[in-house]
Amino acid sequence: MKMTGIIFSEMYNDELNAFTHDRNMAAIPFGGRYRLIDFTLSNMVNSGITNVGVLAKQHYHSLMDHLANAQEWDLNRKNGGLLLLPPFATESFSQMHRGKLDELRNALNYLQDATTPYVLLASAHVLCNMDYRPALESHISSGCDITVVATKEDGTSTEPCTFVMLADESGRATACALNYPASAGSFSSMGTYIISRELLIQVIKEYTAQGAYDLERDFIQRKFNQGRLSINIYECQDEVLRVRNVAEYFHSNLMLTDARVRKSLFQADSPIYTRVNDEVPTYYGMDCSVSGCIIADGCIIDGTAENCVLSRGVRIGKGAVIRDCIIMQGSVVGEGAVLENVIVDKWATISAGTELKGLASAPVIIRKGVTV
Amino acid sequence: MIERKKECIAMLLAGGQGSRLYVLTQDTAKPAVPFGGKYRIIDFSLSNCVNSGIDTVGILTQYQPLELNDYIGNGQPWDLNRNFGGAHVLPPYTKTSNNQWYKGTANAIYQNIPFIERYQPEYVLILSGDHIYKMDYHKMLQFHKEKGAECTIAVITVSPDDARRMGIMSTDANQAITEFEEKPANPKSNQASMGVYIFTWDVLKQYLIADEADPGSENDFGKNVIPAFLRDGRRLFAYPFEGYWKDVGTLGSLWDANMDLLDPKDPLDIRNPRFKVYARNYASPSSMLAPGSKVTNSFVAEGCEIYGTVENSVLYTGCVVEEGASVVGAVVMPNTVVKRGSCVNYAIIGEQCVIEPGATIGDRPEHCVGGEWDISVVGHRRTIPSGAVIKPKEIV
Repeated sequence: MKMTGIIFSEMYNDELNAFTHDRNMAAIPFGGRYRLIDFTLSNMVNSGITNVGVLAKQHYHSLMDHLANAQEWDLNRKNGGLLLLPPFATESFSQMHRGKLDELRNALNYLQDATTPYVLLASAHVLCNMDYRPALESHISSGCDITVVATKEDGTSTEPCTFVMLADESGRATACALNYPASAGSFSSMGTYIISRELLIQVIKEYTAQGAYDLERDFIQRKFNQGRLSINIYECQDEVLRVRNVAEYFHSNLMLTDARVRKSLFQADSPIYTRVNDEVPTYYGMDCSVSGCIIADGCIIDGTAENCVLSRGVRIGKGAVIRDCIIMQGSVVGEGAVLENVIVDKWATISAGTELKGLASAPVIIRKGVTV
Repeated sequence: MIERKKECIAMLLAGGQGSRLYVLTQDTAKPAVPFGGKYRIIDFSLSNCVNSGIDTVGILTQYQPLELNDYIGNGQPWDLNRNFGGAHVLPPYTKTSNNQWYKGTANAIYQNIPFIERYQPEYVLILSGDHIYKMDYHKMLQFHKEKGAECTIAVITVSPDDARRMGIMSTDANQAITEFEEKPANPKSNQASMGVYIFTWDVLKQYLIADEADPGSENDFGKNVIPAFLRDGRRLFAYPFEGYWKDVGTLGSLWDANMDLLDPKDPLDIRNPRFKVYARNYASPSSMLAPGSKVTNSFVAEGCEIYGTVENSVLYTGCVVEEGASVVGAVVMPNTVVKRGSCVNYAIIGEQCVIEPGATIGDRPEHCVGGEWDISVVGHRRTIPSGAVIKPKEIV
């Protein structure tokens, strides 16, 4: 394989703070049985990448626990495999890790020791099931300095794009902007980049020495605007879910009930791997009513659930009604409780008879381990 | 120098054909038959070992071992990938003389004396991979030691009817076995052997060697070795086990055992987080219950997609029930698709089957008059054509 993978496990902003109190972004539970990082990591493995470095900044215990020896991803290798790259406690530690470029300094030794000609940089918060090999081919044949994996926008997205580009017919970027609404036909970066290892090492050394820390702003956009960087755009045709903030997290989870999204994300030939938990199958009770739901193993459901995502080991009591909710691992919804637009983090308890209602745009969030 | 040895190792007899499971064991060994949504029968014995602190398990295979070997792999799903010990698949092998298959249960252990001796165990636990139960073998080993036994047989209380089909022990007040009868017409006791034995290894080894030298022997534990122990006045004890135990050797008992999982009292205690049942996991997504689906009183594993109706059933990993299809009182094994408008009632459907639209399999007992009812069974990887009718009792 010609690529080494680097995964960013942080957001570098506070949009997902509701879930990152005691875990980092990559370890946020998603889609019942997964954590966000499972998608990017599985894509790398399914694309034949056998060297993956995971950059972590803080409270990465959950992530370490989840990845362990990476055996589930077949990355427990003598040669290569998975390496967690936590920060070195240097003098400048407190100022470090304001952005991806800054954080890449931690991967410098790792990248220098790697033997592949290219590096794939990817963030754990963009979910899809894609093969990175055609993207690499596109990068090589384009002759560009960097390839950005992006989705083509139809102009309907209301969220401003983190990094948006316009391209000519050959797929070369002609303009780029940060935090800008995407017009129809423009390309929105998936935070996934292919670059030669040599250039990346040079960029990390040169730019961070000058205090630059934002990969897109300080390196790609600045150098592109100076006319010193050619950008190739590789369009990802697969379904892509982004998890940039709470509303998107909520929406993306519920999108998994959409047959088209499910088919694209979960394919028999390129499975999304995750840590095995050895839960028993889910039991659906005599009087339960479940429709439009994604449900992991180990649940016991005696109530009503509509349009919900339930993680492993969730209990829904008799007479409880949950609509448009995400209930994470091991949480209990007591008898007769009514929840609408609620996200319940792990190991929380909703007492019997409780009523909680949020909005689709602003769901109520119940913190990990809390009893309501 | 520290001597590397194990106090107790397990030998799991997984070579049986399981012919009474008919189509389900046509091309796979019985221990590899799927059970309970995400498990295979062998998972229960293997998990019991690990949960009892036994980390060395020899798995003796013979009949159709491909799927079973593949499934066990390096033993990692059961935490049996160990530097010293762990899971070892032990098929019969050729030797300089006397090449042979495993002739019987005792012969299978006899042929693997060199494997056992590598661990210099004091005790050997003999298991069969055909039962659904959760048992702490460590407690049984304690019992074996306390009684100063040379052989301990785990027993379970059964009804007189069941007793006529099983190996029955009579014991004295101290649990010492006084008599052993294989499938007696008039059982003298209700204590039946579970096929779980602990032997003191140096004693068993002598008997295995003697048994092998006897040309009249069938080389079977129940028929030859245990009777020989009794004849010689060896210290044999019966260890009473209380809990759920089910032999899933027949289609009817396999279906029953699956249905027992729907009992809210959870007789098997399958949910106990301190005594988990481990299984090899395949990467399938969480299940999806589409709008309009109706699932009640059912056990559903991951990776399923349900658009239709599922009632009183056990659905294994990766099954699809399309719109308008109904699955009632059924056991549907991994990756089977029940298409639009077809009905599955009181049946066992094997792995990777396709039930084409409008097919009907099985029927409810109340619809069958004259006692003709039994479950219907469809073997692995079958396609049931559109509109076909598989009657109750039928096996295809």
